[in-house]
Amino acid sequence: MMTFADPTPRSAYELPLSAPDARSSAAVTPDAAALWREALLIGNVLWFLRLRWAVIAALAAFGLAGLAFPGVFHALRLRPQVGWPFLAAALLLLANLGFLGHARLIVRNPLRWGATWNLWIQIVVDLLVLTMVVHFLGSLETPTAFLYLAHVVLACIFFSRRRSLVVVAIASGLYAVCVGMERLQIIQTPGIYLDPLLRQALTSHPAFPWLTLLSALGVYFVVWFLASHLSELVRGQEWKLAEANRRLTLAQQEKARHMLRTTHELKAPFAAIAANAQLLLKGHCGVLPEQAREVVSRIAARCRRLAVEIQEMLQLANLQSAEEQPTPTRLDLAETVRWAITRVGATAQERRVGVEQSLEPASVVAIEDHVKMLLTNVIANAVVYSTEGGSIRVQCGETPSDGPVIVVEDEGIGIPSDKLPRIFDDYYRTEEAVRHNKDSTGLGLAIVRRVAVSHGIRVRVESAPGCGTRVTMRFPAAGRGESA
Amino acid sequence: MSYLLIIDDDEDFATAVATVLRVAGHDVRIELDLSAAVRSMTERRPDLVLLDVMFPEDSTGGFELARKIRQSHDAVKDVPILMLTAVNTRFPLGFSAKDIDEDWLPVTDFLEKPVDLDVLAERVDAILANRRRTRAQAPPAAS
Repeated sequence: MMTFADPTPRSAYELPLSAPDARSSAAVTPDAAALWREALLIGNVLWFLRLRWAVIAALAAFGLAGLAFPGVFHALRLRPQVGWPFLAAALLLLANLGFLGHARLIVRNPLRWGATWNLWIQIVVDLLVLTMVVHFLGSLETPTAFLYLAHVVLACIFFSRRRSLVVVAIASGLYAVCVGMERLQIIQTPGIYLDPLLRQALTSHPAFPWLTLLSALGVYFVVWFLASHLSELVRGQEWKLAEANRRLTLAQQEKARHMLRTTHELKAPFAAIAANAQLLLKGHCGVLPEQAREVVSRIAARCRRLAVEIQEMLQLANLQSAEEQPTPTRLDLAETVRWAITRVGATAQERRVGVEQSLEPASVVAIEDHVKMLLTNVIANAVVYSTEGGSIRVQCGETPSDGPVIVVEDEGIGIPSDKLPRIFDDYYRTEEAVRHNKDSTGLGLAIVRRVAVSHGIRVRVESAPGCGTRVTMRFPAAGRGESA
Repeated sequence: MSYLLIIDDDEDFATAVATVLRVAGHDVRIELDLSAAVRSMTERRPDLVLLDVMFPEDSTGGFELARKIRQSHDAVKDVPILMLTAVNTRFPLGFSAKDIDEDWLPVTDFLEKPVDLDVLAERVDAILANRRRTRAQAPPAAS
């Protein structure tokens, strides 16, 4: 292929074939996956620590029972155990404090000698202490060998199949060493049963100790096989769910960003058109003929309406998004109502609609922006659907029986009863409303519905055509002790 | 006559605003991008900045510039800023005049686009008058 010699140094960039969105939102980076697993393991570490406090308490109680109630043990033909339970409890107590300290470190700084190490050391220490328990209670004549199964199952939950198999091997080795050393009489203990003949009869059988040992080891491996297989399946599902959730969250964030950008891109041209239409209307470009003036006025009005509609679409979309919502705070509804009345003041003045207010303090815990949207929409509706020269009444207060209540009442066009159930639907406008106010978007009450549902605000609308509408909003009372 | 700087990437909108403000007797300059605006402010300190929020290279460029102005150590630090935005949105929802604080939106006031040009001219006059009052009340700097 022929190339041209070009002495000019140029910067180069080649478009990557994978779409940027796919790279940023769908792909899982190794770090993200590791952090996700670490977070799960940290949860397991903390749960395991809590469980061990119960075991420590049980061991101490067992030792105390041996000291306090030896008669009960004797009645059951058992030997009271007094020394080693305290030793085992003390060892576990010290170990648990160490694990807890480490867990607090890894919560703050994940992935550095992380949760996997913590769990490994916990399991190994447990198995060592458990071997002591098995030995003192009686490794062959009691079912204590099956206590190892708890750790086998836990290892299957915490770790991969290969790693959990290592735990099974450690447990098997420790139990085999315990039995072997007892058989070789390197270590000896009388066991928990008082009757020496029982142990003698069992252990003097040539095959019994080895059959017991092999049976226990066989059970460990069978349990490991089943538990690790099931655990892998569950872990796989859990990972898929977490991954789906992560993708959904990212998609939601991307949608919100896109919505914001789209709003700007749509509203900005209207702002320019509206500004230039005003230049014409105000005579900055010479005097317009009356007919042209009317046309330009319609263009300007339409621009304003579209800008409002776009803003309401954005608000509605944001209300639907559960992510990144502002934090609820304690509000005085009277203040918020005053703010909303100011907001619709210009429209009320333009339409010569009077606003009567009776506002008493009423405390609620809510998302301020959302409540402002709800009230602005309800009060603006009352103003807009009033007849010219009419008036609206806004009351706010709190009673012990009803809690915080706001009532907005107008004497306007009203709503026919058969249409009341639909007024909160997206983009729904009654014919009467459209005839009265062409600028309605049909989104105001949809916003009210979303805010009411998310805050548990009971909204009641009473209306009659030609007589007006009353909207009663009952807010959940602000609970005592909730944060401001 | 006050010197006003309009920083907005929408030339049609900025020109319309500038026309009205010039008729009101102000000296107005338009800058369509942020880097040119920074240069312009260094060359001549404006009495008021009319600032858009979203710019083609940076969707929150207006906020950033407002913060940069407030954090600077030169003469522009105290310049009043009137923010003009098509997105009345404190992510994810709307902001109000109450939200104008140093951390979130360090501006003197804001107006939502599309703006009524009469309201804009009134708001500009109010900010400038307030500025003059504040300066008159301020004690003279020690020499």
